[in-house]
Amino acid sequence: MSSRRDFLRGVGASAASAATLTLWPGTSSATTGADTRLVVLMLRGGLDGLHAVPPWGDPAYVRLRGPMALTPGTPATEGGSPALKLDGTFALHPSLAFAEQLYTAGEFLPLVATAPPYWGRSHFDAQDCVENGTAVPHGARTGWLNRAVAALPGMDGVAIATVMPLMMRGPATVASWSPPLPTQIDPILLQRLEPLYGDDPRLAGAFAQAITSQSQNAAMPTAMSSGSGAGAGAGRLPALMQAAGTFMARNDGPRIGFVEDYGWDTHANEAAILSRKLQELDEGFAAFHAAAATVWPRTVLIVVTEFGRTAAINGTRGTDHGTGAAMFLAGGAVRGGRVGGQWPGMATGELYQQRDIHATTDIRAVFKGALAAHLGLDEGVLATRVFPDSGALAPAQGLVRGRAMSRQTYDQSPSVRANASVSD
Amino acid sequence: MSACAGATTDSLVSSEHAAAASAANRFGLGARPGDLSQIHDAVAWLWAQTQRAPAGSDAFDGLPGSLDYLQREAELTRRRRTLRRDAVDAPTTAGTGGNAATAEGKPDNPLARLYVMTFGDDLRREAVARWQVAVSTETPFSERLVRFWSNHFAVSVDKGPTRLYAAPMEREAIRPHVNGRFVDLLLAVETHPAMLRYLDQAQSVGPDSRLARRVDARTDDRAAAGAGGRPARKLGLNENLGREIMELHTLGVDGGYTQADVTEFSRALTGWSLPAPIQLERGIDVGSAFVFRPGAHEPGTRTVLGRRYSDDGMQQARAILADLALHPATAKHLATQLARHFVADNPPPALIERMARAYRDSGGELTALYSALIHSPQAWAADARKFRTPQDFVVAGLRAGVIAIGAGPQPWEGLLQRLGQPTFMPRSPSGYTDVAGDWIAPDALWKRVQIAQAMAERVSREDLDPPALARAVLGPALHPDTLAAMAHAEAPQQAVTILFASPDFQWRV
Repeated sequence: MSSRRDFLRGVGASAASAATLTLWPGTSSATTGADTRLVVLMLRGGLDGLHAVPPWGDPAYVRLRGPMALTPGTPATEGGSPALKLDGTFALHPSLAFAEQLYTAGEFLPLVATAPPYWGRSHFDAQDCVENGTAVPHGARTGWLNRAVAALPGMDGVAIATVMPLMMRGPATVASWSPPLPTQIDPILLQRLEPLYGDDPRLAGAFAQAITSQSQNAAMPTAMSSGSGAGAGAGRLPALMQAAGTFMARNDGPRIGFVEDYGWDTHANEAAILSRKLQELDEGFAAFHAAAATVWPRTVLIVVTEFGRTAAINGTRGTDHGTGAAMFLAGGAVRGGRVGGQWPGMATGELYQQRDIHATTDIRAVFKGALAAHLGLDEGVLATRVFPDSGALAPAQGLVRGRAMSRQTYDQSPSVRANASVSD
Repeated sequence: MSACAGATTDSLVSSEHAAAASAANRFGLGARPGDLSQIHDAVAWLWAQTQRAPAGSDAFDGLPGSLDYLQREAELTRRRRTLRRDAVDAPTTAGTGGNAATAEGKPDNPLARLYVMTFGDDLRREAVARWQVAVSTETPFSERLVRFWSNHFAVSVDKGPTRLYAAPMEREAIRPHVNGRFVDLLLAVETHPAMLRYLDQAQSVGPDSRLARRVDARTDDRAAAGAGGRPARKLGLNENLGREIMELHTLGVDGGYTQADVTEFSRALTGWSLPAPIQLERGIDVGSAFVFRPGAHEPGTRTVLGRRYSDDGMQQARAILADLALHPATAKHLATQLARHFVADNPPPALIERMARAYRDSGGELTALYSALIHSPQAWAADARKFRTPQDFVVAGLRAGVIAIGAGPQPWEGLLQRLGQPTFMPRSPSGYTDVAGDWIAPDALWKRVQIAQAMAERVSREDLDPPALARAVLGPALHPDTLAAMAHAEAPQQAVTILFASPDFQWRV
């Protein structure tokens, strides 16, 4: 890796070599393509899009969400700040303060009512489908992001994970980076373990005591870290995002990255859990933004989850597995500052199977749109190798700013300028 | 599993499954996927492992022997002395001057660096080899026995001079004898540098030995001449090893010995020592990491537990050890410890008695002890279960998840540190506790959940089928509720976390 740059550095001592540099127009144009960055952050467990991007303007929303409903201007019944208004229909969860700043800067694009082609409600199958890039779970044994790396010569990828996730498995050699061992315990995991320990007479008491003392401890750092930006929270996601940003900001660093996070399966006590998790996500955005500042203008970060959650809340102040979800695109190259996707509404007749948001956008269309516009991947390759048999699914348009902004400083070729004027 | 009367074929089959799971999890180090289906006859599977020396020893190939460590340690001591002298000779370089001694405690000081440079790689290789064997062994019952005896004869590496020798002691003294006669195991351990140093035997000198008398005479001469200077170190008896052999290694604390027995035995042990540093520094071939120094040996006949032992040099303590090994109290002590390790925190007295008798009848064969254990119905009873110690928990997780150890032991040693059971560091000659109550605490359980997450993160996701994995490693001990909780996990990796963190996985059933 980086042999070319090392070579340039090696000869850079002589005056003649400076001329050599400019005599490599081919390299220079290759570099412009190579200088964009694409990161996928996968939130496993099923992020509740209705809580992250509340459709406060839809009358059915407040009715179905009751005490959990978030609206701009008024604090939620369950406590916390009012939602951050985006437009007449949508808002952001108050924990997503940094994302709102990006939105204002036109660098954040929430997409609503998205889903993978698989509409079942199994975590494992839905995640497999999101990652393998076909129309069905287990439709491929490799991941679409890896196949994208393989389709782009000279491309490097990195997965911030200890073992290679499916999305990054495949023909291309991809680096991985193991984060330090986790010290926080996923609250969703504890919800699953509590009844098991409750049934073990020898361990029940000690486990219950652990939960009590830990939740007392946990209250402190959360309160202290609220609104204080990246790194302050106890969660792990900001650290992972910072690592990804640091790797990807390097001149010779990987251009495609993958990050994952757990703990989004909010069947119970959702408002409290998501308040913390979304803050971690927000800190993750900030951490990546800070670590990858130099490449941020040329970056597209895609945040995806396997499914959305039920439109109505359940009996344990949470939500169950659903269908239509929310996605986020963030980065200097994103045409943001608006809410994308088609909102199907959530009145009774508008719900999928009378319970879920009806998905109107196949997430593969978003992936394809980003890969085509941002990385210059050929549509034919996208429709066959990266997302097999997806020819009928057109790449989403207008997700990414014209590549002009990032290209101009490197490449003055007329064709690119023409491109730029088209997309603006 | 109450009364067995009227058992159907189905329940017999399922109890065979239960026996296989117990063999792999309670008697072994934890099932790997596929292990349970290979165990058709649990008792035969265990018994076969006691019929030869524990396998997997090629992981230890190329590791230095204790004598080699002693020689390099002596060389290091010489170089450190030079460094220290240089530091004292040039006090102005340090600014404040003369603080070489205080700097030694810091990790970045040259003396500490020198130690790491000299032995860091060996310590890493020793640890990695031990982890490798634990996760990959095909004879996990034997391997658990190795670890049992290692803890029975505990040394603790927080005592500096012991640090290099704990792992070699297990390799050199315990492993070869774990399926042999107890007296051979005992003798190998008590003559190993790790034990001789840990329990201060190397410095113990008979008060009436030639060496002590010579030093005394020199001190008297100096006093008579009115000479100042450093008084010679007073040499004398150290009872530490003698006492712990009786209390912990053989008879047990209620084994019927007196203080007089301890003192007499300790006198007999004088002279059991290590090669002199001066010889090692000069590169003299000392031949062995154990040395008997006749000059330090207390002369005279000794009486221990009513038996007289004539002064036969090194053979005197050896004869005492041989008798201790076969003492009925030792038989009972060993049987109790083993039954507690494999069956229950409070093992049934009938089981202990049966094991002790088998041991006595065989003339001290360890395999007789093991055989009585695995052939006793109590060992397979429904209430036979043990709480996994932190080391058991981590090793079982690595085996179940087929997790690669990697080039360094740090991640795994780090987990054990957090759980309070770092390798070879019990901080007491009685070793790590073997009862559940000492390991079940709120914070300890909390950390296990954290560590379950950390281990699950390293399980390959290729073809990962968490419910199948759970059934494969826990067998009938897997509770349906655990399986249900796993099915509701938000990702396969989380399902594996639930498996590792579940109460089912904390017990050796």
